[in-house]
Amino acid sequence: MAHAKFQVEIVTPEGEVFNEEVEMVSTRTSLGVIGILANHAPVLARLEPTELRLYRSETEIVRLAQSEGYLRVGGNHAMLLVEDARRPDQLDVATLRERLADAERELHDAGEDTERRRVATQDQKRWRTFLRIAEAQ
Amino acid sequence: MASQRDVRNRIASVKNIQTITRAMEMVAAARLRRAEQRIEALRPYAHSLRKLARQAAEAAGSVPSLPILTPHESVARVGVLVVAGDRGLAGAFNSQIVRAAVAASREHDAEGLQTLFFASGRRPASSLAFRGLEPVTSFTGFSDRPSFADARDIADRLMTAYVDGEVDRVDIFYNGYISPISQVVRRERLLPVHEAAVIAGVEPSTLVEQTTGEPEGPRALVEYEPGPTEILAQLVPDYVEISIFRALLESTASEHGARMTAMRNASENAGTLIEDLTLEMNRARQAAITQEIMEVVAGAEGVS
Repeated sequence: MAHAKFQVEIVTPEGEVFNEEVEMVSTRTSLGVIGILANHAPVLARLEPTELRLYRSETEIVRLAQSEGYLRVGGNHAMLLVEDARRPDQLDVATLRERLADAERELHDAGEDTERRRVATQDQKRWRTFLRIAEAQ
Repeated sequence: MASQRDVRNRIASVKNIQTITRAMEMVAAARLRRAEQRIEALRPYAHSLRKLARQAAEAAGSVPSLPILTPHESVARVGVLVVAGDRGLAGAFNSQIVRAAVAASREHDAEGLQTLFFASGRRPASSLAFRGLEPVTSFTGFSDRPSFADARDIADRLMTAYVDGEVDRVDIFYNGYISPISQVVRRERLLPVHEAAVIAGVEPSTLVEQTTGEPEGPRALVEYEPGPTEILAQLVPDYVEISIFRALLESTASEHGARMTAMRNASENAGTLIEDLTLEMNRARQAAITQEIMEVVAGAEGVS
């Protein structure tokens, strides 16, 4: 059965990457995976790096590698403000491996309970997720 | 007097230079347009993020005391982020930034503060090193087209330095973009973040309308994951990343604008030079002809 559609906007610092009506959005907040359907209750959430799925219909799904950001739902409209959102075929496995290695090195060098460690942990999580998406395609 | 051949060679070499400067001008103009578009593209993101911060701040009741919002008790070391380009041939674009940053470090010296340089761009990195002011960290290779990831790298490095006590304050120097022919040196305080700046420029009234878009959804019913305070705590570093990204983008637009202007001037100068040299070559040719006629006449007189 077809679901009702609602407007979804994805905005990154490099511009708008998506602005269409979809049936469902699936992403990950700091509390876990979340699925948004039309007329969802208002939400303001922090997003974690994950594979973002935009269901144009049950069979037509747009998949994007999504970095950390924010999700705001209200008025039957969802807005995702993310640092990066790109198609898996735009990812480069070699570059991502390098970045992940850099982050792991940073993590190894950073002292306990420092800002540096926090940043490196975040980087590691992001590149690990992106790498997994890039390798899966 | 230069021989005809010398002058002709010089004209040829000036023409070659002119071809190159014209091409560089055209490339810079195309890149400038793209850089301008990218500044435009950032606007909706930056604006929405501010609105989000405002909404979270209103829900949280107060802004949490984050390390990057808290000024250090005593300031001994000042971090200076110098943003310029990877390449030269752009008029005063690189040098005016380095000059401003060096002047600031002298001011710091006078106040008994230590300056730690962070450079973005190969030019400022090497100019500072040449003056014996080696940057602590240099970020290079992207001044033509900085990505958000580049800005995030710089922001992470600086915030880490601030929070972990390596520096007590961070200022940024960059070329603010006004128009293709006009760039100004801007100096801004990056850290600690002024808490009002994070949500500046957003009217509370526009927010109420935004957040309560549907009649049955008063703001109190908005679900926060995690709490508004935690969201706000994450939005502040994001604000720093955006500030740096905007500075990088403006610097890039300024660089292309400055290069376009410099190359246009160079092409025009080459044109003038070619005209002068052509005149000189004509004179040389005329002189040679006159000389030849006189020799013929003198020869004829000698025979008769």
